[in-house]
Formats: sequence, C-alpha cells, structure tokens
Amino acid sequence: MRYVVGYSANARGRDAVNLAVSLARGRGASLDLVVAIPDAGPFNAAHAPAAGYDNYLHQQAAEWLDEALALIPADVPAKAHVRSGESDAQTLIEACEEFQADMLIIGATSNGLFKRFTVGSVASALLHAATVPVALAPHGYHRREALTRVSCGLGNRAGAEELLDFAVSMAVNREVPLRVVSLLTLDAGDSDVAADAARDYAQKHLAAALPADASGAAPAAKADVVVAQGRSVEEAVDRLDWEDGEVLLIGSSRLARSRSIFLGSTANRILRALPVPMIVVPSDYELKHLTHSTSNDTSREAQA
Amino acid sequence: MSTEHATAKAATHTQDHGLSEKGLKAGSVGLIGAVVIGVSCIAPAYTLTAALGPTVSEVGVHLPAIFLVGFIPMLLVAFGYRELNNAMPDAGTSFTWASRAFGPWLGWMGGWGLIAATIIVLSNLAAVAVDFFYLMLAQLFGNPDLADLTTNLPLNIATTLVFIALACWISYRGMETTKTVQYVLVAFQLLVLGWFAVAAFSHVANGTAFDATAIAPDWFNPFAVESFSAFAAGVSLSIFIYWGWDVTLTMNEETKNPEKTPGRAATVTVLVIVIIYMTVALATLAFAGIGTEGLGAGNPDNQGSIFAVLAGPVMGPFAILMSLAILSSSAASLQSTFVSPARTLLSMGHYKALPHKFGKISPSYKSPSYATIASAVAAAVFYVVTRTLSENALWDTITALGMMICFYYGITALACVWFFRAEAFRGARSFFFKFLAPLLGGVILLVMFVKTAYDSMDPEYGSGSSIGGLGLVFILGMGVILLGVVLMLVMAKLRPEFFKGQVLTRGN
Repeated sequence: MRYVVGYSANARGRDAVNLAVSLARGRGASLDLVVAIPDAGPFNAAHAPAAGYDNYLHQQAAEWLDEALALIPADVPAKAHVRSGESDAQTLIEACEEFQADMLIIGATSNGLFKRFTVGSVASALLHAATVPVALAPHGYHRREALTRVSCGLGNRAGAEELLDFAVSMAVNREVPLRVVSLLTLDAGDSDVAADAARDYAQKHLAAALPADASGAAPAAKADVVVAQGRSVEEAVDRLDWEDGEVLLIGSSRLARSRSIFLGSTANRILRALPVPMIVVPSDYELKHLTHSTSNDTSREAQA
Repeated sequence: MSTEHATAKAATHTQDHGLSEKGLKAGSVGLIGAVVIGVSCIAPAYTLTAALGPTVSEVGVHLPAIFLVGFIPMLLVAFGYRELNNAMPDAGTSFTWASRAFGPWLGWMGGWGLIAATIIVLSNLAAVAVDFFYLMLAQLFGNPDLADLTTNLPLNIATTLVFIALACWISYRGMETTKTVQYVLVAFQLLVLGWFAVAAFSHVANGTAFDATAIAPDWFNPFAVESFSAFAAGVSLSIFIYWGWDVTLTMNEETKNPEKTPGRAATVTVLVIVIIYMTVALATLAFAGIGTEGLGAGNPDNQGSIFAVLAGPVMGPFAILMSLAILSSSAASLQSTFVSPARTLLSMGHYKALPHKFGKISPSYKSPSYATIASAVAAAVFYVVTRTLSENALWDTITALGMMICFYYGITALACVWFFRAEAFRGARSFFFKFLAPLLGGVILLVMFVKTAYDSMDPEYGSGSSIGGLGLVFILGMGVILLGVVLMLVMAKLRPEFFKGQVLTRGN
C-alpha cells in the first residue's frame, strides 16, 4: 500500500500529513510525500532569464520535505519527492500514477477569507480529475491514531454498490465498524416515509455488499445504517454524531468520466459541513481496480 | 509490511533528491515561439510609446539613426550576458555574476541596479497602462473627457496603484501568461503598429498629415546628431527599447534545438524589432515632424506617451486598437516584469545580501512571496514620488530608466570580461564573446551612463523638472543609486557574511 501525500509547507500540508499518518497506521501503508512545483513557462516574458530560479525552488522544496519527514512518526515508512508539472493537481495525479498509489491525501481547505471551509483550488481541481480515491483533511486536522470507524455516505443513484463494496472492505481491512449514512433533506416530501425508504435502500445494498460467508460475519454485525435529516445537507451532517477517528466515504458524481472523480454539488456541500475527513472515491474505481490488481502483490485498499 | 515496521526511522524516511526531474521540459519552444517570446519581452508597442518622444526631444530627426546605433551596445553586452548565463545560471543574474567576478560590493550594486531598473519600468508600465486605460474608455464611450481623467493627480495615482497591486497579486499567485495569449498579444501589437505606420504614410501621401516631413538620408546618420550629450542620451534611451531582447539569446533547454534556435531566434527577433521600429519611427516623423507645437513629436506634452496623442489623428476611429494593443501588452509586461526584481531580491536574500525574509518562497504558490510584495511597494512608492515631483513623470522615469539600464548592464558586461579573463585569449571565439564584445559594450554603456548622469544635473534636462537647481532625472537616478549604497552599508553591518565574501566566492 502506498499513499501519496500532496504536501505544502503550511497548515494545509500539516493537516494532510496528520491524516496520512492516521490512514497509514490502520493499514500499514507507506507514504510518499510530494511537493509539486510549477514548470517555468517560457512564454511568461520577463526581463531576466528564468534559469536558476528552478534551483532555488528545488532546494526550498527539499527543505520543506525534510521538515515534513520530521513530522512523521517512526512507525510509518515515508519517502519524499519533488515533482514538477504544469499545475499542482496534474503533478499530484502523475505522482499517483508513478508510485501506483492507492490513495491521494491532501489538505482540503484554503485560507478562505469568507468561508471557514472553502475547498482549495488544488483540491477542487483534483476532485475533478483524480483517478484514485482522494482523502481530504479538514482544516486543523491533528489526529494521527488509526481510524476508529468508517462511514459511507450513500445516495440513491447508480454506483452505490461499488462504493459500498469499497467501504466494506476498507472497514474489514482496518478492523473497524462500518456505518452507512443516508443524508436526507426535508423537502423530499414526507420525512418518515422518505427515511424508511432510504433505510431500506441502504440496508438492501449493504446486505449485498457484505461478505456472505460465515468468516465475514463479524464485521457484518458491526455495520450500522443511519438516516440523517435536516433542512439542508449541511444540517443533516451536523445532526449526525461523528467520532474523532472517523472518515466519510463519498462516491463521485455520475458526471465523472469513468474512473475519475467529479464531486457532485451535494458532496461539495457535505465537505463544507463535515468535521471529519472525507474520502472521495472515483466512479467504478473499485471494480476496475480489483480486476487490474491481480498482477500486483501489494494488497489494495479495496481488496478484502 | 512487517519488515518495514521494524526498520529504524532514519531508514524509513528518505528523500529522493536524485530523482526529481529538474528544469524545463526540453524542446517545447520552436523558432517562432522563441521569436514571440523575444518580441513580447521587448513589448514594442509599449517601448515605442514611452521612448519615442523622449528620444526625439534629444536627437530630433536622427531618431532612426539612434535606434539603429542603440542596438550595438545591447548586442555586445548580450554576448557577455549569454556567456555568464551559460557558466552560472542563477536567478540573481547580474547580482550573482558581478559578485562572482568583482566581489560582494560591486555585485551588490549590480543587483541593485537591476532591481532599480525593473522597479522603475514597473511604475512606468503601470502608468502607461493607466493612460491607455482611460484613453480606451474615452474611445469606447465617445467621451473625450474620460481620457483627461488620467491627468487628475489623485485619481491617476490611485488607478496606477491598483494596476500595480493587481499585477503583483497575479505574479504572487504564480500565474503565467500562456503560449496562446502571448502569441495573440504579440501578433496584435505588430499588426496595430503596422497599421499605424501605413495610416501615417497614407496621410502624408494624401497631404492630410499634420506636418508632412520628407524622409532624408541624413536621418540615418548618427554622426549628424548635434552634440555628444544628445547622442549619449539618445543611446541610453534606445538601450531601453531593446531591453529584453537578450532573453532570446539565453534560452537554451526550453528550445527544440538548443544548438541553433536561440541564435536564430535572436536574429529574427531583432530583425522584426528593427523593421517595426524603423517603420514606426519614420512614419511618426513623416506625419508629425519634430515641431514643438500641436501634434509634433517635439512637443513636450506629447512625449510621455506619443501614441496616446497620435493614434487618434492617424488611425481615426481605429485608434482604439492602438489603445487596446498598448494596454494589453503593458499589462502583460507589468505582470511578467514583476518576476525579475522579485527573483533578484530572492537571490540576494538567499545569498545573505539582504534580510532573510527576501529569500522566502510561498509554500502555496511557489513564488518569491516577500520579494514580489517588496517590489510592488517599491514600484508604488517610486511612482508616487515621481508623479508628485515631476511635470512629466513618464518622460523622466524613462530617462532615469535608460540610465539605470546602462549602469547595471555596464557592470554585468565588465563582470563577464573579468570573470573569464583567464580564458579570454583561448581562441577566437572566446576572445570575441568573452572579452572583446562585452568589454566594448560595457565601456560604451558606462560612458553613456556617466555622460547622461552628468548632463542630467542641468535643471532643463528631460521634462525640465528640477529640485534645488538639479535636474529631476539626476536626482531620481543618483538618488536610487545612493539609496542602494546606503542600504548596502546597512546590510554590511547587519549581515556581514556576504560582504566578507563568505557566501558567494570570487572566481571559479
């Protein structure tokens, strides 16, 4: 297991490192810290040649990475890399391919002036193009112990099966309970009927996704279905109780190209209200990955 | 997995310094791309509107001659610049090279000269952009009063500061002009300048020119310039119009054919630029003459920004294209020019020649954060001071700028001669490029610098602004250099390592 961490030498980067340590600890994964630096565009005409600035950038990036490595506890293996490309998002996606990463971990928030949790531009670019699950560390995330629970946010659109498969195996692999969450807004008609329908829907899919044999019965017993309601998605998220060591899995929207992420508007709003990290899983990610990973000896995040 | 858990921290945390792929993607720029980069660095529409008037005021109809002669020292210095850049590619350019050749003190001043020149050009670029911004509004809404808003001092200063702040912010965010935008900007500039020339000549042919003046061979004779003072002033101004051309020579890895492309691109660029400068200079002189009345190119009121005055009468309703061309190219240059002083400041911070914070790089945008903001503040302060003190701020800043470029290019060229002195006589190529060319270029530029500085003490020099009997251009130019000396002495007290030669060592 390898996780790529998009590192920047600020609070956002430290959020990402903390989350990465936490995720790696539950799974014995190794971390690849990547600082993305921009390619100097030759068409940015200036009165002095660009040569040499690159050296400063690489030197600075190496210093930043040394600081970052010092933040990582000894039990988590980590490597640091400097990579360059046209945009930070593109560079991180390429790094994921280069290291055959199973997840990309970044700090989600920018230092937005007007909103507390604004999705940073790099994060939002990644959420539209990444081909591996992207874990977003919320602002000020400082927990570094292994996860204690995996939540899976379920909509009622196609793709729920793949996401649930992924969530179940993630919970099984990490030996933590699974919680399936349906977020409902009240304008969806009669709330009780809607809640029951959502619960039935979630339970039906959960039953299909859980391992059928006796050996998988233990995690199955720990799986829980919750329906959260509110006037808005944000309110529904607020009403749920969240453990400190919890993450929420969300599938990417149907607009996504196959195997890449596109964050739907609902997921975007969840992100702004959510107090715990969120992992966005590309559509079709797990299925494709299972069939391709047979040649790979490392165990994959989604593999049971 | 279990073995990884057991390994010690030192072994589990590593950095692959060796694997990071450095530098530009090789082979992305072809000949045309390199020429576009060269032309956009020079920004001919902007340099012409800024420098044509002041140069005419010095050399009159011999403008074409001076524009041609002005290229020679630039060419000679650029050869040396290329040698230094190949031997020591560094973001500090003149600062680093002069420090390596002459030691910390001259090196510091070389860096200061570069920073001062680029700061001055930033404030001038912003001011020109603001002039054409209001002019364009006037043309757009058919209301000439809007163009006069730029003469309202508080409004002008406020708008210019907004332009500087915007460009600084874009540069701080690390945003760059893309290839497509640059191609469009350059093509548009050349097209509009060509249009201006054709329109001016047809006015002359139709007898509708303001002051039709017959082109004479004498215009191309630099020796006909009446005095050496005028000649020196003219040459230091025309150094400014070629400033940026040297970038084509220093392009290497980014070109498709590093052996041939930079040389060819530099040649084609200079041909394109000389042709456009000659055509526009001749068209302007033929249409407007050098009279000091009305539209004449010798009229002091026109000299700060000649196209602001002439584009309307020459191009008629299409004058708005000229405004658009100059506004867009100076805005693009404004943003990209921030890179130069910021990187030199960063380099000086890095080598402990300035306080540590100048060496900071933004973790989010990977741009020189503190240095970029410092450049913007300096450009803003320089503009406010000049605008308040001078009757014609644009004119005086351009003259001071020409002087400053001569100063730091002169130092840089001589740094090349001195740095390579051991290999100067190893073959004809070395002799010419590392010794003769930079030596000649450097000496010419420093002579121009001293002569212009001396002449500018005259209160009538430039736009005729003066303080305490000294010309404003002299006060601006010398004031900036003296400020550099003072700051250098302060820095030598604060951070002596650099000045003891412990950071950047002399020689190879």
